Amino acid sequence: MKGSVVQTLILSDWNRHRFFIMLSIFGGVLALGLVAWGGELPTILGSTWFFVSLIVLGCMMPVSNVINERKKQTLPFLMSLPISVAQYTLAKIVSTFGMFLVPWLSLVVAGGLLIVGRQNIPDGIITVLLILAGFTLVGFCVVAGVAIATESESWTIVATIALNSSYGFGWYVLIRNRELRTGFGNADPVWSPTVLTILLSEAAIVAVVLALTFFVQSRKRDFI
Amino acid sequence: MMDLVIKLDGVRKKYRFFSLDNICLELPPGQIMGLIGPNGAGKSTTIRILMGLVHQDGGDVRVLGHRMPQEQVSAKWDIGFASDDMRLYEAMTLEWHMNLIRSIYPKWDAAYAQLLLKRFGLRAEQRIKEFSHGQRVKATLLLVFARRPRLLILDEPTTGLDPVARHEILRELTGVMADEGRSILFSSHNTQDVEQISDQITFIDRGRIIDSMDKEVYLDRWRRLRLEVPAGIELPALPGIIHVRQQGRLAIATSNVFAPDLANAYENTGARVQSIETMTLEEIFVANVEHSREEVDA
Repeated sequence: MKGSVVQTLILSDWNRHRFFIMLSIFGGVLALGLVAWGGELPTILGSTWFFVSLIVLGCMMPVSNVINERKKQTLPFLMSLPISVAQYTLAKIVSTFGMFLVPWLSLVVAGGLLIVGRQNIPDGIITVLLILAGFTLVGFCVVAGVAIATESESWTIVATIALNSSYGFGWYVLIRNRELRTGFGNADPVWSPTVLTILLSEAAIVAVVLALTFFVQSRKRDFI
Repeated sequence: MMDLVIKLDGVRKKYRFFSLDNICLELPPGQIMGLIGPNGAGKSTTIRILMGLVHQDGGDVRVLGHRMPQEQVSAKWDIGFASDDMRLYEAMTLEWHMNLIRSIYPKWDAAYAQLLLKRFGLRAEQRIKEFSHGQRVKATLLLVFARRPRLLILDEPTTGLDPVARHEILRELTGVMADEGRSILFSSHNTQDVEQISDQITFIDRGRIIDSMDKEVYLDRWRRLRLEVPAGIELPALPGIIHVRQQGRLAIATSNVFAPDLANAYENTGARVQSIETMTLEEIFVANVEHSREEVDA
């Protein structure tokens, strides 16, 4: 037996999606470049573009790596290999999450460095960056979880629409909260209980969605 | 006792509008079994159960000695599986797929893969989406054959292929069997393909196995008798005759266990046996399915 089949499948998914991953990072960096340029319009355009690239990446990756597997009938090919349903699920979760997390993390770190490095941007905005980036991570996890568990394009589209609609609501809640709003303009990041609660809630949702995805998959009796 | 490559014992699977009922099947090593059935007969479900992709509701499934679906990972190291609904990654080249399979299977035979590339007229550097349907099927089978599996499970592999491509694939399948340790389970509704390469034939219809035996035994046992029946003579129901169709003075009787005594028995009733004809596998298949359905409906 050569290496691990799960590892091979993860690497093959990375290999197939490498251009898409690079394109996402390039789009995000370009957006951050606009923010770095300064001025009201480029900053607004750049920050919007930045989050849109994270959202698009979060929606497209599960569709491309999971839903298309069934839709384009490559799933029987993969399941002819010496892997179990649980191993396939593990491979898909690790590759899909990895392919999202690497560009996501790169862009979030790049965004953080930009905020810290630019004198005209208050460091307090880092909490906004983390909270909003956390939204996109939760959104990705839900879409990926639904895609893996249901293997249904329709349900994945429903989850995507629901998540995309909720971003506006989340943004609205952030803006309306006085404590958060005040902290955003601060020279230093304010790690208030509200900020920490939001970030921990996002992390908890990610953990629950992952656990649920494994649970649902483990109960399936018919896989193809 | 010889270890069976495939053993299905009392396998059941129930869906809302379809069920597999008490499927029993045995395939010894070194044999090619053709699984023939009309569309929706249960061939693909049976094969998916064999691969561990669908869990049976009841019964025992063993493939290469492994219990399925529990031990599917161990079993699949030695199984080459291809089905007509299986696709490769369109955006990737055949070479990419070959490298993927080679990185998984230690028994990957690179020289044989190169040979198959030539025989099938495929270009490894070509992307799958640039292949015709026939080329895609050949590419899939190349990936399966070059693993050198002990057991090939092929679900309708020749569907939609032109006669030349079908011939190439059937010839390669026969070549695979040069190694006597290998076995093939091959489902199709194309009886010509099955007749050409199979040692054993299993007929499946409406989720039940209706018959399973050596191909030569089928061809040897089934006969069609053309009879001339004089007015006033009524043909008796003879054992071994499963169907009689009469129009005026001419009748055709189909036997599934033919023996010369049958012709004598008809002659003794006053009928005249005009001819005794052998039947093709397709004719046997159709007669078998019709007979089975009549029995079930009765």
